[in-house]
Amino acid sequence: MLEAISTAILFAAFAADCFLLSLHFVHMLQLNSYQNDRYRRWMKENRGQIIYRMGWLLLATVAVASFFIQPTDWKVRTACAIIFFIHAYLNLPKKAKKPLVFTARVKRLYATYFILTAAAGAAVYFSGMFRISLGGLFLWASLTGIAVLAANTINRPIENKIAGWYIEDARKILNSMDNLTVIGITGSYGKTSTKNFLASLLAARYNVLMTPESYNTTMGVVRTVREKLLPVHDVLIVEMGARRPGDIAEICELVRPKYGIITAIGEQHLETFKTVENIIGAKFELADYIPDDGLIFLNGDDEYIKNKKTGKPVVTYSVRAGSGCDYTAFDISVSREGSRFTVAAPGGERCVFTTKLLGAHNIQNITGCIAVAHRLGIPLSELVLPIRRLKPVEHRLQLLPNGYIDDSYNSNPAGFRAALDVLSQFDGQRVLVTPGMVELGERQYRLNRELGAYAASRCDYAVLVGEKQAPPLREGLLEAGFQEERLFIAPDLHKAIEIVNSLPNEGQRTVLLENDLPDNY
Amino acid sequence: MKATVAVFFGGKSVEHEISIISGIQALSALDKSRYNALPVYISKDNHFYTGSRMGDIKTYKNLDEAVRKATRVVPVPFGGRAALMRYPAKRFKNNIVAVFDVAMPVVHGTNAEDGTLMGLLEMLGVPYTGCDVLSSALGMDKFAMKAVLRRHGLPVLDALAFTARQFAADEDGITAEIEDKFGYPVVIKPVNLGSSVGISLAQNRGELKNGIDLALEYSGRVLIERAVQNLREINCAVLGDIDEAIPSVCEEPITTNEILDYSDKYLSNAGEAGGKKSGMSSLKRKLPADIPKELEEKVRELAVKTFKALGCSGVARIDFLNDSKTGELYVNEINTIPGSLSFYLWEATGINFPDLLDRLIELALKRHRERKAVTFTYDVNILADASFSGLKGKS
Repeated sequence: MLEAISTAILFAAFAADCFLLSLHFVHMLQLNSYQNDRYRRWMKENRGQIIYRMGWLLLATVAVASFFIQPTDWKVRTACAIIFFIHAYLNLPKKAKKPLVFTARVKRLYATYFILTAAAGAAVYFSGMFRISLGGLFLWASLTGIAVLAANTINRPIENKIAGWYIEDARKILNSMDNLTVIGITGSYGKTSTKNFLASLLAARYNVLMTPESYNTTMGVVRTVREKLLPVHDVLIVEMGARRPGDIAEICELVRPKYGIITAIGEQHLETFKTVENIIGAKFELADYIPDDGLIFLNGDDEYIKNKKTGKPVVTYSVRAGSGCDYTAFDISVSREGSRFTVAAPGGERCVFTTKLLGAHNIQNITGCIAVAHRLGIPLSELVLPIRRLKPVEHRLQLLPNGYIDDSYNSNPAGFRAALDVLSQFDGQRVLVTPGMVELGERQYRLNRELGAYAASRCDYAVLVGEKQAPPLREGLLEAGFQEERLFIAPDLHKAIEIVNSLPNEGQRTVLLENDLPDNY
Repeated sequence: MKATVAVFFGGKSVEHEISIISGIQALSALDKSRYNALPVYISKDNHFYTGSRMGDIKTYKNLDEAVRKATRVVPVPFGGRAALMRYPAKRFKNNIVAVFDVAMPVVHGTNAEDGTLMGLLEMLGVPYTGCDVLSSALGMDKFAMKAVLRRHGLPVLDALAFTARQFAADEDGITAEIEDKFGYPVVIKPVNLGSSVGISLAQNRGELKNGIDLALEYSGRVLIERAVQNLREINCAVLGDIDEAIPSVCEEPITTNEILDYSDKYLSNAGEAGGKKSGMSSLKRKLPADIPKELEEKVRELAVKTFKALGCSGVARIDFLNDSKTGELYVNEINTIPGSLSFYLWEATGINFPDLLDRLIELALKRHRERKAVTFTYDVNILADASFSGLKGKS
């Protein structure tokens, strides 16, 4: 009797532990776009976390130990069950910035994973050598990360078929809309803001649909087209993200953009692209797809973009007076209320605009959108109201009422510098809260040190988040003459805010929350 | 992929049948290369019906049979569009009967044109043609309309309004006030009716009391105003929205009685119902109106101002009263969904019916876009952090 009960409890504990562990791994697989190579890289980079914090070491040790335990009576089994329960408890899912979404694909993945796990459990139960197999249970649990990978690999052919069917369906819908104008937006940064701005500006005259937040892959576009595109839409704005060469060409091949905007080129995802040239090449895949009666809008302030030949009809925009670009913003002034600037269009039309948004790069992106809207037949004067109404994208240089500038979604050095420039323009006490930059490859250390040096003259206090991340920033700040007593290191964001709140009261406080680590770090 | 336009007509209104004619005219005029036309008939008991037969005027020879053979539906929001769901639903069957992108209300009179249907469409979250809830309601309540127009400095006749109960309680007082204020003749109207139903002219006290009784049959509130002498009626339609609107040519309806009555207004050519010649378009009229150029310009200007003052959108017809001797000109009423959508006025102005409908749909989409640009909901649920103690008034 005890034998049977303890066995049942053991298997229940085993199942619970496997499930909770898998939640984390599946979550990470989802964040890495279900791509095995990226997922494996994540596993490699986070070995320490998986082995120690997630208790792989514990499971593996128990697995080895249980090969030597004799006999495996109910006490041993109960003890093992307790280990599983404790382990499961320690791995309860934590609050995530982008939580796991139970999509149909995740459900299919789980189906496969459960079959694998049930097979492992059955093998243990029915094998004559329960002693050895007890170790087998722990072994299987310890291999959860790999089992998830295996399930993903098993499901891949089916997933490809399903994806292919969805893509064809989206293509059919797009082909049936003769009067739809498609505008593609890409760039290393600024594309989400530009997308939102452009949608608001074009709404002055047109019915606009844009791909929603972070839906910048082919499947994201497919979902948008299948679920959101209505016959009444005149314009579809597609944000195109590139993790590797060919990504943008794949999206363009589906949506066939008539107009394109390339916002900026920087060193994001340098790990997968290896060189900046590869990044430029990937972004300009958009230009390659623009037809001869279309237009490619280029940021004339970006050295990389400016110097690239496209062979397509080009319109340039800039925030530098005398840039010689087609659309230039000038007389830019920034205050607590936001920004004010003038734009001149070819042909002499000019107009003064005001916006709640901060930062030169925002003005730059708005100017790009003004160029597109103007070329699509909307006079500048009709754009004054929509620009006045623009809202900052959440967490992107968003001025909050409590004096915080939330730039926590930024993750590139140029954006970091721009945010520091904005911070430096405020009066009173200026505080920087940041964990620095990640995903920058071998140059990460140097870039963070440079950012630290750049920040030294632009803030009065700096709170660095994360002990692992802090050293290069700290080094840079101190080298540039930042006082050490104005520098703090906090283990996490909540502690960092506590430190900010305990700072001396020195006039109006402005706090820049710069970058926030994604969940997979 | 063509946009589906649902044309709503019928409704619990004295102008039910007229609305059917207007609705079916709009259905047949919609440009089929750009839109799918979907008929949605609202019965006199406010049930919704659809089906392929509902777009044919012959179906409505017998209203009971029309409804029996149709599919009863309820409209529901459907991801930026709206769906018509079969009601009552059938088990194990797809109950989505149709999905539409834009609604086109072609209903006349109370319980429909007065903002009621617009409120429903607003809740469905679909773009719809024509006036919104407020301008529809203002257009229907003649007393409220006068108040707003007066505030905008537009010429309207002074009026007195009272409820049935007020009149019953103080018949003599009210009668004396009317005689004192206006003398005779006066016009008596139900305060919120679209057509000429219930309207009468009184030359003396006896006719006044009869007229009030008649008007009270159709409305709980009655409006009295001075009758304009040497009366000439001039109508002018306006197309656009509060930003930009254009007037049509003017028409002059020819009255057989002192007041344009119901049968005159709609049924003078009933034999041809269903064709484009039926309904309002067949009314005996002078088109363009035989009036001096100066007066015509004045009417067109005031029509646009009235349209904008009431916050209208789409197409509306503004009816004016003119004393042909003195030249006095007053805004009499506005039809926020005019019979036959005033297409005959626009044809005379150079805009054909399909183009008129296109323009209405564009305006609907524009308003929808602009409403979406304004924040209506917050992502934060205030109740999530609320303490519910004391909610029932006790703590």
